[in-house]
Amino acid sequence: MGGKSKGSDKVKANPKEVLTGVYYIDGDVASGFGALAAGCRFIGGYPITPSTEAAEAFAKVAPKAGAVFIQMEDELGSMAAVVGAAWSGVKSMTITSGPGYSLMQENIGFGAMLETPFVLLNIQRGGPSTGVPTKTGQADMMQSRWGAHGDYEVIAISPDSPQEMFDYTIKAFNLAEKYRCPVMIMSDECVGHMTEKVVIPPADEIEIEPRRLYTGPPDQYVPFKPDEDLVPKMARAGDGYNLYISGLVHDERGYPVEPSAFKAQYVRRLVDKIRRNKDKIIELKEEGTDDADVIVVSYGISSRVAVKGIEIARERGIKVGNLRLVTVWPFPDEKIAALATKAKAFVVPEINYGQIAFEVARCSHGHANVVLVPHGGAGVHIPDDIADAIEYAFKAEGKIERVIEFKTRLERTVFEEGYTLKE
Amino acid sequence: MNEITTAFAEGISRSGISPAKISMPSDIPFAPEVVKQLGVDYFHTTRGRAIAFGTGLKLGNPALKVMPVVGDLMTLGGNHFVHGGRRNMELLVICVNNFVYTNIAGKQVPAAGAVFSPYSTFEEPFNFPHLGNSCGAIYTARWTALHTEQLADSIAEALHKNGLSMIEVLAPGPNYYTDISSIASDILAFYYEHSIVKNGEDPRNVGIVPEEKIIVGKFTDKERPTFIDQYNAQLSKMLGDKFTPHGYVPTVEESGGKHA
Repeated sequence: MGGKSKGSDKVKANPKEVLTGVYYIDGDVASGFGALAAGCRFIGGYPITPSTEAAEAFAKVAPKAGAVFIQMEDELGSMAAVVGAAWSGVKSMTITSGPGYSLMQENIGFGAMLETPFVLLNIQRGGPSTGVPTKTGQADMMQSRWGAHGDYEVIAISPDSPQEMFDYTIKAFNLAEKYRCPVMIMSDECVGHMTEKVVIPPADEIEIEPRRLYTGPPDQYVPFKPDEDLVPKMARAGDGYNLYISGLVHDERGYPVEPSAFKAQYVRRLVDKIRRNKDKIIELKEEGTDDADVIVVSYGISSRVAVKGIEIARERGIKVGNLRLVTVWPFPDEKIAALATKAKAFVVPEINYGQIAFEVARCSHGHANVVLVPHGGAGVHIPDDIADAIEYAFKAEGKIERVIEFKTRLERTVFEEGYTLKE
Repeated sequence: MNEITTAFAEGISRSGISPAKISMPSDIPFAPEVVKQLGVDYFHTTRGRAIAFGTGLKLGNPALKVMPVVGDLMTLGGNHFVHGGRRNMELLVICVNNFVYTNIAGKQVPAAGAVFSPYSTFEEPFNFPHLGNSCGAIYTARWTALHTEQLADSIAEALHKNGLSMIEVLAPGPNYYTDISSIASDILAFYYEHSIVKNGEDPRNVGIVPEEKIIVGKFTDKERPTFIDQYNAQLSKMLGDKFTPHGYVPTVEESGGKHA
């Protein structure tokens, strides 16, 4: 069985939970297998297209490894159960899409307030509301950051292949345990239903972040007293720590307090534990950005399409860089700011009408133009559109203060034919 | 609330179960001083979600005794309660009914007219024990804040039941209301004059009706396989020896890492 690996707090995965082998599976299934490999012992969820296969995959393999899947009555209950399971001492997760994600926001905020480690897989679909259940979207990105009320920080990761769905589900659990915060896997229908080769390595090649458990004497336990990295140690229910854990703003003991000084102290730490550790959290994939005139910033399925768009633009003789946001939250402010002083423009293809593009504009401080390549959802970009947007950004004269919305082929149809589509 | 938390302490003590093994998720903000005295693990959850939160606690560590204390039971928490009963999840649900949040008030009840309903209320109240029994709860009882002895006995008894038990507790609202008038003491006097003990009464007959006595007592007590019982039976049947029955409690080391 597992044991501590050298020079790290991490331990090796449990072979019973790792389905080592080479598979041809979709992203949803890969994420379900990744959750088990990460040591997840509890998933509470409610079926919703296009995320259901992930829950099914976990439900199928979980009982053989001592883990539990329960189909809850709704997403409100699913998220509450996931937070409860985490406090019982197990790693926990839920799986959902648009409408379910909206319902979960209440207890995502609750979980963040209690500094609960948990993972949420959102296979984004077309929105708003019921939207387009069976087709893709990337319009929940801001919701993942600001969905619940109040100030808090989360970590959001955006995989772009079934292999990454496996790998980054494990990473999501590791980050959740390390920083005791909600970690969102912001995938989408295309990646969720994309079927590719997935290699699940042997257990001893998978590193697992253990829970930061407090095991000292109960009378000395201060539940929300942070370690040096601003993250406190956690105790499990039932171990005699006489826990008092509340969604009210609380002091280090967990007791509700009202003076604004406490609120500043506690809520400040909730955000700072992520912001001050962001260099350790953020993962980017960068290629050709050093001498680029135009840099494409993308995430999730759009980063797969962007690769082809970049290739076409390079054939047209433009120096294009590729910056892929594997971690979307916390946002790589400094990285974008630094690139903005070197490149002429950023091009941001995303399956929405502008979310991350505005973040890129915020961080470029007017040094580089920002061109949004929008997509209304229920499909992905045409690579030629991304190439055309790159060319447009390259040729645009002067500094343009606002985010420029590039008119894709699809958008031009809308603008030429009006907002009412004819059959 | 002081009366019922005293009954909680007494009930837990009489059950013989270590308070350290009891988790109390609740949407009611109990004061730390009170909960620390009880010795349980307390979680102040989101409104109405204590049963769902408790479901996660119980399935995460089946050795825990989970006792959700819910104020918003049949409003925000309605669906969780209905499905908790159907699954027979091992939870002791304490429904604290203060006649305000749950729209249950008849016109006799002072709190309803005082704050939220300036023109009194006209909505039909829920009959909690009947509802709980219909949804599959294996134990139903109702007591008021005056019946602390009986409440403590019910808690002690229900903590040993396997499945979803529910005890409705009629209690005055929190001190918010007592500050603005003497409503709390009025309600206690009201309970004294208007309640009648009928153990074993058919839950269909125990609805709270204006102008009639409030029926309190232990109404139902039966057995039914729990969620975990059924889960283990079904998966053992399907998976044979590949299945490890749920109920295994991980050690601290296992929760902290992956040690053998």
